[in-house]
Amino acid sequence: MAYKARLRGFDDILQNDIIDIKKLKELAFNGIPDDQGKRAICWRLLLNYLPPERASWTAFLAQKRELYNHFIDEMIIIPGSQCSEGDHPLSLNPDSMWQTFFKDNEVLLQIDKDVRRLCPDISFFQQPTDFPCSQIVNSMDAKRLHRRVEFSVLKSANVERKGLGITKIALSLKKANEDYAPMAEGEEAHWEVVERILFLYAKLNPGQSYVQGMNEILGPIYYAFASDPDPNYREYAEADSFFCFTNLMSEIRDFFIKSLDETDCGINSMMSRLLVQLKNSDLDIWLKFQQLELRPQYYSFRWLTLLLSQEFPLPDVLRIWDSLFSDENRFDFLIYICCAMIIILRNQLLSGDFPSCLKLLQNFPPMDIQIILNKAVELSKQKV
Amino acid sequence: MAKKTYDLLFKLLLIGDSGVGKTCILFRFSDDAFTTTFISTIGIDFKIKTVELRGKKIKLQIWDTAGQERFHTITTSYYRGAMGIMLVYDITNEKSFENIIKWLRNIDEHANEDVEKMILGNKCDMEDKRAVSKERGEAVAREHGIRFMETSAKASINIDRAFNELAEAILDKTAGREPGDHVDRVTVDRRQQSSTTGSCCNK
Repeated sequence: MAYKARLRGFDDILQNDIIDIKKLKELAFNGIPDDQGKRAICWRLLLNYLPPERASWTAFLAQKRELYNHFIDEMIIIPGSQCSEGDHPLSLNPDSMWQTFFKDNEVLLQIDKDVRRLCPDISFFQQPTDFPCSQIVNSMDAKRLHRRVEFSVLKSANVERKGLGITKIALSLKKANEDYAPMAEGEEAHWEVVERILFLYAKLNPGQSYVQGMNEILGPIYYAFASDPDPNYREYAEADSFFCFTNLMSEIRDFFIKSLDETDCGINSMMSRLLVQLKNSDLDIWLKFQQLELRPQYYSFRWLTLLLSQEFPLPDVLRIWDSLFSDENRFDFLIYICCAMIIILRNQLLSGDFPSCLKLLQNFPPMDIQIILNKAVELSKQKV
Repeated sequence: MAKKTYDLLFKLLLIGDSGVGKTCILFRFSDDAFTTTFISTIGIDFKIKTVELRGKKIKLQIWDTAGQERFHTITTSYYRGAMGIMLVYDITNEKSFENIIKWLRNIDEHANEDVEKMILGNKCDMEDKRAVSKERGEAVAREHGIRFMETSAKASINIDRAFNELAEAILDKTAGREPGDHVDRVTVDRRQQSSTTGSCCNK
């Protein structure tokens, strides 16, 4: 289908009073156009955030976005700012705001390390957002999350005393150059926004908290929303991606939970499913992997947990996710894609030794993503 | 294709808290380059480098692991096969140093008893942000009878040396073990904790 016709196809579906999600999935499965913010709106629908009834959108979005602001007010607090009797930094009271503050900072430290490592090959996340969160960026830095986990070192100086009573004090004022430099008052970079979303998610889901890799799940969603050409949507990229991320996590969170590794919904079972699929689709490679003792944990743990977001450049990840989110049975198609990736490397894998095979799988060679997706569709149709 | 291009294969493992620079250390060693633009390691990653020691070509198969607790079930399964383990902390991060004890316990639980260990205090180029003195690093290593070095992946300090020394220690052990040798006769005296150079086999 020609690009313009495809675009029109999306318009036709999206303009209905009640959007036919099934039809939308059929269309989006083959890729959502990059233009006109189509992806952002479709993902909001596919991730069950926006309801199909268009008339309800305005009120629904207003309510959700207000709720999100409420989360910020409630969870990003500065202890000592409100008068609470008997509370102090050394308080052992479990209800102490200071206690919570210090505990939160441990989680925050991990998040902070990871958001600074998000999609380093593109500059997007280091750039300022057009819509900074005003109550944060105008707080004289007090509410900026990364400020809470910065290492502070007391200034030291070398003191040298020579004869004649002359004392030389050498203050060392070396400054580390920051790739992810903090912004001026009133501004913030996209990575700071991502940090806040992850922090709120961790606060609201204390049983799971933050696990490394969640940043890689949030990254593409936030990117799609924050680069929406429509400023009326772009302005709320933060709140909307928070809710879409939460919805997506509700479907894949089991991959991130260690205690569920061995259960049917855990990551090990996903890896077994991939292996079964490989055995059915290409016995030679399966046998070769057996012989080399090349286990699926070595390569597919990351593929599956992160929905392939670390294996391909961002534009390809967006395209893959169009299909994944349109999958009637999430995430069956993910298994087919992973299997297709292996089969496409068939010749190299069959002739390689353990290290060369693993290297290949852990650093998937650049190729047209459509080749992989076509192969995956082919595999999905072989199913009886 | 199947022809062996090396004499010995050593499996090494890098462990330590998240963000201490494990991936950067490995990248410096394997590609002699440094970049701050690394994504966080999820699960396990791996690289190969061949070194020559005492006329032997030794292929190092080095596994790089994720630091966060969640990945421990995935990563501890690699401990068993490892012949050498690099335990990394960040000299600008006190917590990562305190956790060395935790990582050592992990090794005791999951690795082979005779695995060669080395503690690395990384980021030693960042003197102005130092939070852990070299002496403290040395003390903890001495206490456990493990080799110790401060490194910088960024400034390329001690990286090659660290890997070579670890590989050599493994070589020392393997050298005495010609086929037919009884491995279990080699006893490492665990009480001898003052020696930081470790191995004392087949005296």
